[in-house]
Amino acid sequence: MTRWMRVLLLRFRSLFIRSTVDRDLDRELRFHLEEQVEELVAAGASRQDAREAALREFGSPASITQQCRETRRVNSLQNLLQDTRYALRTLAKQPMLLVTAASSIALGAGANLAIFGLANSLLLSTPTAARPDRLVHLRTNSGSHTSYSAWRELDASGVMAGIAGYDIESDMNWRGRDVSIGVMPLVVTANFFDVMGIPLAMGRAFTAAEASADRDPRVAVLSHRFWTARLGGDPSVLGSSVILNGHAYVVLGVLPSDLRSLPGYGLSPEMFIPISPALAPNLHAPRAGHLQLIGRLRDGQTAEGAWAALNVAASHWAGEDPLHTGFIRVVDPVGGLYQVKELKEVGAFFAVLLLVTALVLAIACANVAGLLVARSAARQKEIALRMALGATRTRIVQQLLTEGSVLAVAGTIAGVAITAGVARLISRVALPLPVPFDLNVTFDTRLAVLSVALVLVSTLLCALAPALQATRGVLSPGLKQETRTFGPRRFGMRGVLVTGQVAVSVLLLVTTVLFLRNLGLANSLDPGFDAAHTVVAQISFVEGRQGEASNQAVEGIVERLRGLASVEAATFTQGVPLTFRYGGSTGTMMRIEGRAAPVRVEYATNSVGSDYFRVMGIRLLRGREFTNADRGDGRRVIVNEEFVRRYFEGLEPIGRTVFLHGDPEAIPAEVVGVVANSKYRSIGEDREAALYTPFLTPRPPARFAHVLVRTSGPPESVTTSVKDAVLRTDPAAAVSVEPMTTALAFAFWPSRIGAVLVGSLGALGALLAMIGLYGVVSFAVARRTAEIGVRLALGATRRAIALLVFRDGATLVFTGMVIGLGLALLATRPLAWFLVADLPPTDPISFVGTILLLGLTSLAAGWSPTRRAMKIEPAKTLRTE
Amino acid sequence: MSRPSDLVQGTLDLLILKTLAIEPRHGWGIAKRIRQVSGDVLQVTQGSLYPALHRLEQHGWLKAAWVTTETGREAKIYSLTSAGRKQLAKELESWDRLSAAIHLVVREA
Repeated sequence: MTRWMRVLLLRFRSLFIRSTVDRDLDRELRFHLEEQVEELVAAGASRQDAREAALREFGSPASITQQCRETRRVNSLQNLLQDTRYALRTLAKQPMLLVTAASSIALGAGANLAIFGLANSLLLSTPTAARPDRLVHLRTNSGSHTSYSAWRELDASGVMAGIAGYDIESDMNWRGRDVSIGVMPLVVTANFFDVMGIPLAMGRAFTAAEASADRDPRVAVLSHRFWTARLGGDPSVLGSSVILNGHAYVVLGVLPSDLRSLPGYGLSPEMFIPISPALAPNLHAPRAGHLQLIGRLRDGQTAEGAWAALNVAASHWAGEDPLHTGFIRVVDPVGGLYQVKELKEVGAFFAVLLLVTALVLAIACANVAGLLVARSAARQKEIALRMALGATRTRIVQQLLTEGSVLAVAGTIAGVAITAGVARLISRVALPLPVPFDLNVTFDTRLAVLSVALVLVSTLLCALAPALQATRGVLSPGLKQETRTFGPRRFGMRGVLVTGQVAVSVLLLVTTVLFLRNLGLANSLDPGFDAAHTVVAQISFVEGRQGEASNQAVEGIVERLRGLASVEAATFTQGVPLTFRYGGSTGTMMRIEGRAAPVRVEYATNSVGSDYFRVMGIRLLRGREFTNADRGDGRRVIVNEEFVRRYFEGLEPIGRTVFLHGDPEAIPAEVVGVVANSKYRSIGEDREAALYTPFLTPRPPARFAHVLVRTSGPPESVTTSVKDAVLRTDPAAAVSVEPMTTALAFAFWPSRIGAVLVGSLGALGALLAMIGLYGVVSFAVARRTAEIGVRLALGATRRAIALLVFRDGATLVFTGMVIGLGLALLATRPLAWFLVADLPPTDPISFVGTILLLGLTSLAAGWSPTRRAMKIEPAKTLRTE
Repeated sequence: MSRPSDLVQGTLDLLILKTLAIEPRHGWGIAKRIRQVSGDVLQVTQGSLYPALHRLEQHGWLKAAWVTTETGREAKIYSLTSAGRKQLAKELESWDRLSAAIHLVVREA
């Protein structure tokens, strides 16, 4: 037994089995006494005399026992235990305080944990893989996606331990027994699972050998959610097949339910399938962007080393193809903060949220501190007595801090429970999103660390101020029960707390109102097209049934719709702007006739049918719309104003040839029209360049299409007839019809989520601050009851009394507001990032609104204490004095 | 009669450790031995002996065990741990330094 173990053992023995230890000491002392008696007897004294002499010399056994106890109790462990026991006992006597304080902290801590949990899950999570710290993202100069052949060459170069490619595929449908729905698989290279090393819940993953694209592989690994939600968790799923785009794919395995998939951001693809020519007909095109690359570093290899070696391996590309700029640009670690770098806005949004939740927690703690200050005022006598009896200030502060930490622990545990409950609820509710999404908020080490930090912070915030205040008092007045004095009109620590709370809530409310205003303005933003009179039908055909005839089917549907009375115009299109399937965005090198060198272009793209711009209400500025004749070879394009401004350098756009990337050569296409700018991906985006190509070209046939209808009446009136038209053509087609305004809801998700989250947190914070204000004014009135009674007896009017009480509260609120407004002016400046352009962070409406809101709620909080003060009966209060 | 408070502070620990370094003893035996060896000059009272023993035990320098003596009574026997032995060496060294220093001041000045 080492020394430390023995010491620890002894300490615990004295702590928990004190009676045994005391009995032992008793026995030991008795032995000593008896030995002494024996010695005296041996020296010739009578037994009686010897006993008396020994006892006299021995002194008080009780005092020895006490001293021994003291030596054992030098450790603070005992103090802590004693304090905790004492705190629990006193708090149990005041269940209201315990519940109020703990639930205050629970709300604050819960909000913090929930928001951090979300951020952790969406932004900071590392994908499930073997040794994820050895994985890096690779990006080439040509953009985020790389061609299949480039992937094969890089992987075969052997520079890294393995390089895999993946891509989210959005145009796929899955046919169940009697449904046909769009799914979103992750299309991966054959070696994906070999490189990643993802564990499976059931079955196995495909290997590089069996899933090679040359063999046209038809295998799939399913996500846990897809397996349970769509296949009913069928245990015999392995070896059976799922029908994707009309082809049977053999199910090899099922992924674990807590998988964090590679794309990150909570995206959870429904299945993983190997890339094949069937999925990507232009698989071998040299410049097609099929795959995002991820590589595994060799042992001892650094990201920089890999970057350099890969560039050497790819250096010959430049000589072969001047358009090919596929050098490796970035090599980034996978997961963690690097993801946030990519998604700056979302990351910054979460930073704002975390700040807001921290403020809410601070307000909650200030409330608890207020409660404790009030209580310690009531306990002044007890504390004074204990100090008079010799307790040191440190000892009492320690004890009051322990009380605070008991509250903090109780509150945080409740907060964790709330968060866990909410997280479970969220993960069970299918979010109304057009993408498969798993929130997967798990209580990991990061959250555990945060919880402990929250306990510490809230203990300090809640208890330190009250403890210092409580022990600062002078002894004698406390003992003499002179607590109700006609003292100076000061609120002391509680006043400071309320002022701070008001200041922080000003900041919170300004942020909240800004986000709400932003939502309002975003809703009224002009998308650049007319959404009010348009109906969108999203159609996905069951493969095989329409076969090559799907183009004709779509045309048939549109023809049928054009015949309807209330339909002004109808068209078909691949994507609908501002929805999840908005078309696409391309960043590439493009040759433009009349310009010497290839130009780097970035544009939104969509394939649209004839009459598209008429149906959408987008102005045609020059040239013409697509006609059915353009669909033959697809070599006509229409661009928007911004595209012309950015890339044509004043050249005449109409009739000019641009070269689109394709297989095997760049495809020349003629510009036939210029249209007005509009929004493509997000409502808040800046002016984007756009390029349209004709939709429904013979190859590849459309599996997926949107039909757009412009009506003269309300859009809702035609939804049924549109659906009928589709189902009459193909009863098995998956079709959803909705007014354009409904379909656009997706575009407003970010500002809505922002408004809801920040709004509810801001309201919570303001509510807590008002409870604090109410408490402090009530307390002040209660303390001054006697004074008010005297004033009334001396002839003060009720009005004067109301003014007196009111002025106290108003001073606190006013001071807090001034400080808060100053803070808000500084702190809201970075918010400009999230706000639509017309809304500056110093928006006067938001600031004035906040002041009004807070002023009104403060009035409400001060109202009932003021009334109580006015109703004081002078005779009664003076009698009790 | 010399009370422990007259002893240079901290020497009681040294006396106990030194006494136990020879052989394990019970509290009574320690007090008796110190008294005898010092020629009745140092009388350790129970009021300081037992708290000191318990403190040393808490520090892990002593360990204790209950044994039955030849007279048939149960006694708590203390003995040195290896940490205690090290502590004794440390205290002896500082005692030597201290006594030498005191001697210098008292006799030479």
